[in-house]
Amino acid sequence: MSALLLALWAAMMAYAAPRALSRLRWPRRSPRAALLLWQATGLSAVLAALLTVPAAVLPRLLTGPDEPRSWDGWLLTGLVVATAATAGILLVLLRTGHRVGTGLRRLRREHRELLDLVAIPPPSGHDASEDWRVLDAPGRTAYCLPGLRHRLVLSRGAVASLHREELRAVIAHERSHIRARHDLVLELFTVLHQSVPRRLRARDGMREVQLLIEALADRAAMAVTGPLPLARALVVMAEPSTGAPGPPVSTEGALGAGRHTRTRLELILESDRPHLVGAATLITAAAVITLSPVLLVWPSV
Amino acid sequence: MPVRRSLFAASLGDLERAVMKVLWASRPGQSVRQVRDALDTERVLAYTTVLTVLDRLAKKHLVTRVRTGRAWSYSAAASREELTAGWMRRSLETHDDVDRRAAMLYFLDGATQDELADLRAALTEVEQRHLG
Repeated sequence: MSALLLALWAAMMAYAAPRALSRLRWPRRSPRAALLLWQATGLSAVLAALLTVPAAVLPRLLTGPDEPRSWDGWLLTGLVVATAATAGILLVLLRTGHRVGTGLRRLRREHRELLDLVAIPPPSGHDASEDWRVLDAPGRTAYCLPGLRHRLVLSRGAVASLHREELRAVIAHERSHIRARHDLVLELFTVLHQSVPRRLRARDGMREVQLLIEALADRAAMAVTGPLPLARALVVMAEPSTGAPGPPVSTEGALGAGRHTRTRLELILESDRPHLVGAATLITAAAVITLSPVLLVWPSV
Repeated sequence: MPVRRSLFAASLGDLERAVMKVLWASRPGQSVRQVRDALDTERVLAYTTVLTVLDRLAKKHLVTRVRTGRAWSYSAAASREELTAGWMRRSLETHDDVDRRAAMLYFLDGATQDELADLRAALTEVEQRHLG
């Protein structure tokens, strides 16, 4: 019956699909289409989960109970359970969304307030009206604080180590994060990721989404400076500056994050070849996956 | 960041920054009046305005205050360098891995010391492809 299929679909989208997708390499060459597919699987999972219980109960309500009166009690109980289950799922999603949303914004606000106090304008030789600021800290870091009150920051070490075009590439990369609101895409996935019980979460999926977003920003940077300055900037920023710590250490361990950088360089290498067939495939898959819960409900309605 | 504006439009953030600059440049134990006089603004600010800003900064632990007689004297809690360094260290440490990565979007996220040789080789390939 539809309800069972929907439940299976939800589980597949939430558990199996992220693991399977993150093993594929070719979607990374069409990062925008790939992200569309990822969003489709996430939303499809939510949709299927929310429709599961109504799909089990609604057919009985619409056709009317043709069993003897004694079944009415069961039907009522079923309805209560159904509503509770659906409400429960919604509640988890909303609570996670609220927690993640407020947490992110609080972190950003605290960071921004301190940043506004200690950051200094770009050094002479750079246009003083530029909207990025320098942090007088050792090491080479570059990041943006996304959102409505966005900031773009580079450390003094980063500015000193990057050549002019490389700097342009880094700034273009971060600017595309800000302009395209990648933070909202990440927030959506974070909420979905954290709505799943901890032991069932697909960490590979989260990492893959992060990589795709970086690849997207890399593309935007290449549109400004071309591939070479960006590639050089990646390696320069990865090198530890003398007497200072390297880039922020991922708590997941060096290997996971290091793979990202290597992959990004490979994607830059392949960037001149368009992958239209791949993109079309991903978009089609996204459409099919989004529609599937609806299609599964249809027979019972 | 906002371009410098006239005093009437100055945001609290602008004032906080200006006050911190004064405290960093001054000896410890400044009075409200001394800070106000040292502020580089188009018009002299009201005493209460400067007091409010100092109060806010003290609550954020950026400024320390000591009672001297009937008045308070203010000092920067740490130099700009110390503040930056300590804060950078803190922001890299804590938080759930997912939160930090989603809150700030780093150009390069993660240590890659193990893979540097690999990266340099990949860069050489990119250069050959695009220059050769």
